[in-house]
Amino acid sequence: MEESKAYIETGILELYVLGQLNAHEQREVEEMAAKYPEIKGEISAIEIAMEQYAIKHAMQPTAGLDKQIFEKILAEEPVIKETVSAPAPEAKIVQLTPDKSASTIKLLRFALVACIGLLVVSTVALYSAHDKLNTANQQIASLSLDKEKFAATVSFMKGENKDLQEIAAISSDPTWTLVKLAGTKISPQANMMVYWHKKGQHVMVDNTKMALPKNDADHQYQLWAIVNGKPVDLGVFDATAEPKKLLVTMKEVGNAQAFAVTLEKRGGSISPTMEKMVAMGGVSI
Amino acid sequence: MAPTKKISLTEEELVRALKGRETIAIQALYDMYSGSLLGVISRIVQHTEIAEDLLQDTFIKIWNSTEYYDSSKGRLFTWMVNIARNLAIDKIRSKDFRNATKNQDIENNVDFIDAQKEITLNADTMGLKDMVTALKPEFNSVLDMVYFKGYTHVEAAEELNLPLGTVKTRIRMAIMELRKYFN
Repeated sequence: MEESKAYIETGILELYVLGQLNAHEQREVEEMAAKYPEIKGEISAIEIAMEQYAIKHAMQPTAGLDKQIFEKILAEEPVIKETVSAPAPEAKIVQLTPDKSASTIKLLRFALVACIGLLVVSTVALYSAHDKLNTANQQIASLSLDKEKFAATVSFMKGENKDLQEIAAISSDPTWTLVKLAGTKISPQANMMVYWHKKGQHVMVDNTKMALPKNDADHQYQLWAIVNGKPVDLGVFDATAEPKKLLVTMKEVGNAQAFAVTLEKRGGSISPTMEKMVAMGGVSI
Repeated sequence: MAPTKKISLTEEELVRALKGRETIAIQALYDMYSGSLLGVISRIVQHTEIAEDLLQDTFIKIWNSTEYYDSSKGRLFTWMVNIARNLAIDKIRSKDFRNATKNQDIENNVDFIDAQKEITLNADTMGLKDMVTALKPEFNSVLDMVYFKGYTHVEAAEELNLPLGTVKTRIRMAIMELRKYFN
């Protein structure tokens, strides 16, 4: 009795009648009402009071509304369902939003896949371009090397051509004296040609007409002019299979009776080593 | 179950007819309750046309949900008025209602209610002046917010800036006054 009275006084029964309770609270009230008749009586009293309050506030519906309602209710089941689902368009509108976001997600997914695809293609293209660039760089390097070689060859050939022309000019020019040097006892096979311009005091060694044993890295051939029985140094030269120049300009001399070549230490000597004289030739006028 | 035999008999018959899906029940339901239900609905939505549409929806829902009504848990009207109120509340909180009645969304509705409080109590309720004056206004306003305006008691407490316990007490006191008045 005390419990039910206290329960009534909490005001929960009023909230129950007003539909303010959640399912759990409702069950609790219903259990209490089943247990205590005075609680059940209290609920009924509240309900009747609210019902009468509503009757006092009643508003007469527009005439003819009853017929509309009866028609709807008495019509076939599908019609009733249609009427019941009248607010359905709203529900559909609500569903449109997830649809939209679903399609957006789909679109974004597609975009992501497309981006990844593009990235892969770009990466492959980049690597391929990088490879090609490397190849191109290598080709450029090798071409540039070739070009240098060609340039060197051309410059060498130009030099050679100039020398050859000079040799030809010297041969046909009477102011030049051609001195043929023949091999000595220690090198009978040796021979070479020296061009001498007495007036201009020029001396040239012709590599194309040279047959001397190759000198090693420590030694060089030295050309001497014999002036009034004394040897005069005219400079050193090398005897190689592939000479850099066809014509080697030597030191100047204005008066000579003969020319001789000795094998000396690299850089030459002050006076000739007579035992190492490989070729010699007198000037014939 | 109910204190007055006469009412309970009528209600018992009505419930039996409803559950038996007898079409006469619809007529009885309408004649007996359409005014009371419309009174509650139109105080929540304020628009006569929308209120009558909702009344129609309410009757259809009642007709289609009779199997869920349990007479041991309460009176038929209590069950029906809760269906009506829930439909009306759903309506005023729906997007299309707020679009249709631009200045009547929930927030504006609250201001509207505040402004119209006394007018609503007096003008719309014929022959109630004596009763209204008999009730203490602070008790009555809380009850009316919940019963006629679509507030939950929690929302009413927030709106009036009152503790939940006070709101519960005021609702109880208001209903006690009503009981005294109707007896």
